[in-house]
Amino acid sequence: MAKLPVSLTINGDEHDLLIEPRKTLLAVLRDTIGLTGTKEGCSTGDCGACTVIVDGKAVTSCMVLGVTASGKEITTIEGLASDGELHPVQQAFINTGGYQCGFCTPGFIMASKALIDENPDRTEEEFRHALGGNICRCTGYTKILEAVLKAAEEIRTTT
Amino acid sequence: MSEYTVVGQTVARVDAVEKVTGAAQYGADVHPPGMLYGKLVRSKHAHANIRSIDTSEAEKLPGVRAIITQDDVPSGRRVFATDKVLYLGEPLAAVAATDPDIAEEAAELIKIDYEVLPVVQDVMESIKPSAPRLHGDDTKDGPNRREISGQIRKLSRDKENDHSGEISKLEAELEAYPDEVYYNISAESHTEAGDVEKGFAESDVVVEDTYVIPRVHQTYMEPHVSVASADSSGKVTVWASTQGPFAIRSGIAGTLGIPLTQINVIGTTMGGGFGGRFGVIITHVPAVLLSQKTGRPVRVQMTREEEFTDGRPAPGCVIKLKTGATNDGRILAREALAFWDSGSVSGASIGSTIRVRGVYKIPNLKISAYGVHTNKSGTAAYRAPGAPQAIFAGESQLDEIAERIGMDPVKFRLMNMREEGDTVPAGGEEPKVGYKETLEAVADAAGWWDREAGENQGWGVAVGDWTNGCGPGGVYVSVHEDGSARIFHGSMDITGTDTAISQIIAEILTVPYESVTIRRGDTDSAPYSTGSGGSVVTFTMGNTAKLAAEDAHRRVLELASERLNTNVDNLELKDGEVHIISAEPPKSISLGELAAYSLSTTGGPIVGKGSFARQASTPALAAQIAKVEVDPSTGRTRVLKLVASQDVGFAINPMAVEGQIEGGTVQGYAWAMMEEMQYDENGNVNPGFVDYRVPTSADLPTVESVIVEVPAPNGPYGAKGVGEPPITPTLATMANAVKDAIGVRITELPIKPEKVVQALKSNGHSV
Repeated sequence: MAKLPVSLTINGDEHDLLIEPRKTLLAVLRDTIGLTGTKEGCSTGDCGACTVIVDGKAVTSCMVLGVTASGKEITTIEGLASDGELHPVQQAFINTGGYQCGFCTPGFIMASKALIDENPDRTEEEFRHALGGNICRCTGYTKILEAVLKAAEEIRTTT
Repeated sequence: MSEYTVVGQTVARVDAVEKVTGAAQYGADVHPPGMLYGKLVRSKHAHANIRSIDTSEAEKLPGVRAIITQDDVPSGRRVFATDKVLYLGEPLAAVAATDPDIAEEAAELIKIDYEVLPVVQDVMESIKPSAPRLHGDDTKDGPNRREISGQIRKLSRDKENDHSGEISKLEAELEAYPDEVYYNISAESHTEAGDVEKGFAESDVVVEDTYVIPRVHQTYMEPHVSVASADSSGKVTVWASTQGPFAIRSGIAGTLGIPLTQINVIGTTMGGGFGGRFGVIITHVPAVLLSQKTGRPVRVQMTREEEFTDGRPAPGCVIKLKTGATNDGRILAREALAFWDSGSVSGASIGSTIRVRGVYKIPNLKISAYGVHTNKSGTAAYRAPGAPQAIFAGESQLDEIAERIGMDPVKFRLMNMREEGDTVPAGGEEPKVGYKETLEAVADAAGWWDREAGENQGWGVAVGDWTNGCGPGGVYVSVHEDGSARIFHGSMDITGTDTAISQIIAEILTVPYESVTIRRGDTDSAPYSTGSGGSVVTFTMGNTAKLAAEDAHRRVLELASERLNTNVDNLELKDGEVHIISAEPPKSISLGELAAYSLSTTGGPIVGKGSFARQASTPALAAQIAKVEVDPSTGRTRVLKLVASQDVGFAINPMAVEGQIEGGTVQGYAWAMMEEMQYDENGNVNPGFVDYRVPTSADLPTVESVIVEVPAPNGPYGAKGVGEPPITPTLATMANAVKDAIGVRITELPIKPEKVVQALKSNGHSV
């Protein structure tokens, strides 16, 4: 299949690539770039494990073709910690035990970060519904919600 | 105040940072150079004869490196179907290509000529003589015929006496059960204690119902995956996302005839398992075969759709249950006849039907269980395999009895619960377990005793029991010159077990938790370890770790006695230093100094070894209460409150234990209210998250967990396995709450809105 030129900015790094138009952004991140922190859980946009942030919005990267992401700025789980410091959302997931097997965690953290960036004042109920696109099979969500609320509070009070 | 400093405390897990930064390496993250992508070619029919498999078109596709069928399995052991398929998605061949999309295209190009056969998906249809037969000789007598035939066989064997009269009488009795010959049976199991007929005769109330529990998928978030690399010397390396690397090693060895020592299984971080991640055939064996054929590493990764069609989910079942009790609340007898849907092969957890006995003093018990073939994939374990199904039936029916005799459901349960020393029906003697404490704890926490319910609201309670397994394990612990400790072992971390092991080592060596690190070896390097399932890990590896740390502790004191010139009896290890007891002035030496000193001694470095296999486990109880509100016009049930208590023995890491309780309870909720793998004559019809809905955070409120600690005599610090019990009562908890809300008993799960509406209609409600 003929490949097309694509320019992606991923976690601040520019990548000029030739990719097949059928490859999803998820496949490009994982197989071409080698950033495997973003997970493939369903390939149908239903589980949220592949959530990354594209131009400030959380998207399921299995539902985006790599070629259509050209020129966009992408943040993955690998790009969240800075200067050796975990992002407050990452730290909150550790402190509350908001992860178990960890497979859904990158997606949850990216979705939570985008939601908090957009509006950290959401209520628990609002966060529960806003995170309805991410599936976790281990935690039962209680400790994930605790993590997200704690992170939102910290981001609210420090910014 | 706890006498311990590290165990019993909430600490961040050892894998915390790698899991929140995306650094943890799961199965599909492994990418050796030159890796090919494998894809399984699957049956498009649920039951068919295979006339031919034509791979010629697929072979021509650029990028295809190998196509294999059963002809390419040198051992001859069945990996792919050949002449017949028994379910939609059954593997027929496998492809390896340079790109995953090419592998998928090639799989589509393989032409399979099917002769479609009649299909049976319902167990109650499959046992009838009219059902299509899936395997050969698979007919069994039902419990009554079985009993009578047994008596006839026994009398016929006695050649000394003439029993012809009795025999013809029994043969006439047999004719009373013409429909009790079951077809398509894969296995059977029968248990009896006391005399149920007598028990029912003495009962004031007898309730009989049929419970239907659907097949559900474990739905671990990471689909099955393995990467295999076979080198030219014959050595095979497999990176496997599995609960049991050693089981995978022996499985591959057995299936492909490769010597054990020629196989190295590297367990990768596991994206959930819940019992479903032990199987060897699913991806590991095809990956090895493809790698052997191509001489390159091959990754075989299942899609979510493949997980639903060819995973090994939890079996559905039909349980006919009968319970008798007296008006003053004593349960006298219980009888169960269960049909478990084992799919195309045997293996459903039919033995778990015994769980209908619950934790109660039921003097008379009779259980018959059958595994029944259908045109579905085989099944596997799912968190307390078989228990949620059986306990759903048992605990639903208890509420029906409680209602008829006018007793509070919690009091009724408390009154019948076994105590230490009681006889377990068809079992041994009951040890000390916090059955009553756990139920009382949840009742208190949920506000059961002064509960209020508005219109269309209801409360439900149920309990479920499970006993952790036990298995072999080995642990080494080394103490280094900087006073840190390093653990080496071979068991897969299952949501926090490495952390528990590290806490135990830190406790015994009296060092900070942060100075203990843990490494898991592969099957080439690590001591043998049992699979991480059956709630075994903290119990087994915890005990093993304790032995290893105690061994290191002994060596530490030995070294200190040399350095401090005193007998070991005068020494104690405290806060990472060995002190001479009540020495004035105080005299001590640190672990680091001792580790450095050890390097120049005859006895050598500080290496503790622990090896353990078996000790009796103690049952655990999970008790739960739900408050729900049902909308009678839509049938939708909303959970207002969900409280879960559990006797965990001792919580080594309370936050991790709560996480297990919360997660298990939500899985139970999902089985009760949402999940169901649906099948028609073409096979599974809901192989994706749109049609197979699992809960999201939007579906539930916060789960409140209550930890109860009644120590297990043989558990490390009294700990019991905590992973499985919390799922066991939730199915019944929810059904009992819905019954309380709408006044109608729903016996067929899941309790979807349409079922609630139908139930209300059948009860004369206008909706």
